[in-house]
Amino acid sequence: MDSAEIEQCFEVALGLVKEAGQVVREAIKKQKTIETKSCNVDLVTESDKAVEKLLIEGLAKAFPSHKFIGEESTAAGAKCVLTHDPTWIIDPIDGTMNFVHSLPYTCVSVGLWAGKEALVGIIFNPVLDQMFTAKKGQGAYLNGERIRVSGQKDLSQALIFAEMGTSRDPEKVKTVLTNLTTLMPRAHGVRGMGSAALGIASIAAGWGDAYYHLSLHCWDTAAAASLLVVEAGASCVTLQAAHLT
Amino acid sequence: MDSAEIEQCFEVALGLVKEAGQVVREAIKKQKTIETKSCNVDLVTESDKAVEKLLIEGLAKAFPSHKFIGEESTAAGAKCVLTHDPTWIIDPIDGTMNFVHSLPYTCVSVGLWAGKEALVGIIFNPVLDQMFTAKKGQGAYLNGERIRVSGQKDLSQALIFAEMGTSRDPEKVKTVLTNLTTLMPRAHGLRDCGSAAVSMAYIAAGFADILFHYGLGPWDMAAGALLVWEAGGVVYGLEGGPFDLMRRRVLCASSPELAQEVAGLLTQYQPTPDGDLMG
Repeated sequence: MDSAEIEQCFEVALGLVKEAGQVVREAIKKQKTIETKSCNVDLVTESDKAVEKLLIEGLAKAFPSHKFIGEESTAAGAKCVLTHDPTWIIDPIDGTMNFVHSLPYTCVSVGLWAGKEALVGIIFNPVLDQMFTAKKGQGAYLNGERIRVSGQKDLSQALIFAEMGTSRDPEKVKTVLTNLTTLMPRAHGVRGMGSAALGIASIAAGWGDAYYHLSLHCWDTAAAASLLVVEAGASCVTLQAAHLT
Repeated sequence: MDSAEIEQCFEVALGLVKEAGQVVREAIKKQKTIETKSCNVDLVTESDKAVEKLLIEGLAKAFPSHKFIGEESTAAGAKCVLTHDPTWIIDPIDGTMNFVHSLPYTCVSVGLWAGKEALVGIIFNPVLDQMFTAKKGQGAYLNGERIRVSGQKDLSQALIFAEMGTSRDPEKVKTVLTNLTTLMPRAHGLRDCGSAAVSMAYIAAGFADILFHYGLGPWDMAAGALLVWEAGGVVYGLEGGPFDLMRRRVLCASSPELAQEVAGLLTQYQPTPDGDLMG
């Protein structure tokens, strides 16, 4: 895709994300219909599904040849395969647990990949009005202002974003707690706010220095980890462990 | 104090908190001069001190007979005693660790107590523009809109604010981790935003259901406690007994049922003897 095409994709996606943000902003204050997915703390609401529909329909209309990977479509049984084709990777509401509790730390996350590279990343927290954007090679922005990682190298001065996770698997829970136990006395501080995309965006903005999470999905990282934080100057590594991906 | 006096106190404090918020909003983006207090993660910056000075000077001018308890004045050696006199209890920047990292979960917290009762509470996050206010008997508000606790009674549906760690005391770290391990499989979720006052305000707003914390100063809780009460919530000591502002710990929740259930599950920790606020 050339830069004019990337720009057009960005503009269309941005408009749809703002629309989706409006849906989230209104729905967060209201009663929600909540279902559970893989376990009793892995939640989905009617808003997650409505927002994903809004985004996919809008993007498919503008770009009929593009592919899609959406969190709720995948949960409903759609194939989750990334090819070289231009592919929109969507988390309609990241931090659904927070959204359910009306805690304003939740976002719409949209990434565009092609040739197995990240080209566009948009993360929007509509409740706090924080719009994070990135296009490949063009830097990372928050509400139009350039953002950069902190550059911190010293763990004892580092603020770490970690998550307790949405799993009841005893092995995973044990790993989460072991990692906290290891890091807590070594770091400046540890924070856990419940949205992977916003956590990584916070690193891109320099508000924290490291983020780690086991068992994320591609829609959690497609915009934030893959592009935003890299455009802000960070490095990303994949964690490998025996039982977890 | 009658309601006209309380109203006047509120109005003066609100104006000064907005001024203080402006200082924080500008300073958060800049380089900070950081000192450490009780350990290498207990931080204070020139902004904490400047904001506390701004608030105390402004309030002392308007109310010459009032007393003050400020976090940075106490750290500098001022006595920290709560009497029946009208007393302003001030945390100039709560969440200083966040402020130092430019993470926008930080606030100015001002509470007015008299007769050992909370009368006025103001918590202002100037970066996210969230102004939480309460006057005794008049409800709790966020940016002028009435807020209420969630009313949640069921721990399995509860979102908990629990400290995830800024401490170098091995005993405290052990207690924190034990409590996280106990609660994690039982609750809906666990969060830590790094500011006790912001977290208490969020309980009042219904964004989460319970918060517990050891090792706080009265300045962290003086405004937040009133917000939670006025939002219909409960505020206790950590064993589920009565709340004592000077005892360095708090458990606040959306319902007494939830509070008692969590109090029963917690491993307790005594940071320093009661009344010793230097640790």
